[in-house]
Amino acid sequence: MMKFKSLILSILLVSAVSCKKITESKNEEEPNKKLSKLESLLANLHDSTNKEVIVVAHRGDWRNAPENSLQAIQSCIDMGVDMVEIDVRETKDGHLVLMHDKTIDRTTKGKGAVNEWTLDSLKTLQLLDGLGVATSNKIPTLEEALNLCKGKILVNLDKSYDIFDKCYEVAKKTQTLDQIIIKGAKSKKQVENEFGEYLDKVNFMPIVRLANPNAKQTIDEYLEGDIPLAFEFTVPQDTISLIKKFKTIRNKGASVWVNSLWAKHNGGHDDEKAYLDVNVYDWFITNNIDIIQTDRPKLLLDYLRSKGLHN
Amino acid sequence: MEFFTPYYFKNNQKMKRIVFIITALFLFSVVSDSNAQEKNLEKAALVLEQLKKPQKNHVLVVSHRGDWRYAPENSLMAVQRCIDLGVDIVEIDVRLTKDGHLVAIHDTTVDRTTNGKGKVSDMTLEEIKKLRLKNACGVRHSRQQIPTLKEIMLLAKGKIMINLDKVEGNTVREAYEVLKETGTVNQAIFKGRETVDFMLKKYGDLMKEIIYMPILIDNTDNPEEFVKDYNKKLSPIAYEVTFSSTNTKNFKEIKRLNKKGITVLNIPLWDALVAGRTDEMALLEGPEVSWGWLIKNGANAIMTDRPEELLSYLKKEGLRREK
Repeated sequence: MMKFKSLILSILLVSAVSCKKITESKNEEEPNKKLSKLESLLANLHDSTNKEVIVVAHRGDWRNAPENSLQAIQSCIDMGVDMVEIDVRETKDGHLVLMHDKTIDRTTKGKGAVNEWTLDSLKTLQLLDGLGVATSNKIPTLEEALNLCKGKILVNLDKSYDIFDKCYEVAKKTQTLDQIIIKGAKSKKQVENEFGEYLDKVNFMPIVRLANPNAKQTIDEYLEGDIPLAFEFTVPQDTISLIKKFKTIRNKGASVWVNSLWAKHNGGHDDEKAYLDVNVYDWFITNNIDIIQTDRPKLLLDYLRSKGLHN
Repeated sequence: MEFFTPYYFKNNQKMKRIVFIITALFLFSVVSDSNAQEKNLEKAALVLEQLKKPQKNHVLVVSHRGDWRYAPENSLMAVQRCIDLGVDIVEIDVRLTKDGHLVAIHDTTVDRTTNGKGKVSDMTLEEIKKLRLKNACGVRHSRQQIPTLKEIMLLAKGKIMINLDKVEGNTVREAYEVLKETGTVNQAIFKGRETVDFMLKKYGDLMKEIIYMPILIDNTDNPEEFVKDYNKKLSPIAYEVTFSSTNTKNFKEIKRLNKKGITVLNIPLWDALVAGRTDEMALLEGPEVSWGWLIKNGANAIMTDRPEELLSYLKKEGLRREK
């Protein structure tokens, strides 16, 4: 009996001490709390060595709202997602709207290419949900989307590379330039040639396919001079030796982004497998990946939070 | 005990005791195993009881095409997700392949939901099984295949009821054979829009073997007569009722069914089915103005595209009697 009592006592003591530790560390964090939401998102984005993992939601939270809709973005903000990936296309009359496919056939009841429709006529359509049923959501303009994201969530603009001059104007107008991330699967020279004037004004991340024979050379070129914020790597097999370089790359100042979307992005450690066994995501953590683009933001956030790797 | 004790343990009290404990543990685990099985069996049987005797403090949850937000619609993964959530009934669409197998798929073609093209009725099961289902986002392929009705029923057995759609007046007999084979006749709810006379003429006594839920859609000629006739000749335990507005005859029929103690299933999937009180409204304006309104107006069961949210709303409102 005595033994039992002393056991209880020591458990109580230990928990009291650890509680104290928690309150202390909370106090230490107080000054950080004064950072605005955006400041802490950016601080994390620019810190490649902290253990906080950045969660990117592919096309917004498309499970709960139409892909690329304002509601899909809002749902990500509410969940605590760090970055939302959206797709930009130009209308016939030169406006920028969110749309993944070249045509509006899959996501609305309309038909035809986005660039054959004016903004006014696109705005008469309703976006469809995952079963093809019409919702109250309309196709958003890039401006509407950026105004919603402003101060709340980082934005990765996909399909924007060739129309970036127009995207840039909208970003400037909505004062969201520091929140925007652009990616491209090109060599450093190509990017400097094609994208030069914007390179120091926006957050650019190179995409490197690790199966390419010149992958190592591309990485090395980018690591000379200005280190990019992050590399996105596609990892078709988890046996590729360049994976071992991820830690060094992060120590040099660039974060490492790998998609959990499809098996070919991550050597088979994808979202569908993680849905059946969440420990599949361990692969990302043990391989020093600190930005993950996912189709299951809630699952990934729950996992990371349980490991103390997300706020 | 002597019987279980090997000879070299005899006369050794300590060993005897150990053997006794091990045997007891073994017997206990066997017993608790069968308890667990009974518990599972209970779930589907319990849902059937609740369908037969609707209660004011318990609303049944039916998941439309499985939980398609988390797994491809009509997939085993989508059914498993519903089982895990504690959903009561999962609605599945079944169609016949060229070689006579029933498979779970909504459209007449495989174009929208798989990486293939063509009509289900032009393909053999073997061809169908080569395809991979798509996620709701449309682009990416899942590893999941189109399941057969048999696979669905074996997964569901004891754990969840299945509501068979697209069977209607076409493949009731084929589906019944699968249910008999898998021992799940009491776990599947057939449904259809045809009159009771049509169904009885086509299927005769088979209609009394299966659980059948008539669907009262808005353009039914005479809803009152349709229901009366069914009640007289088949006494169904439930009706699926849609109403485009609260002025419709169908809406009035709900009250009559309530009085008779017959389950009313409403389906808030889109506006015209529930006079605008949809799942989407629940998400955007709050569940009390849609799901809450439906329940107040007589729904005993709700078929939803948001099973997780509906379940948590019902629990919060005290509308789920937990065992």
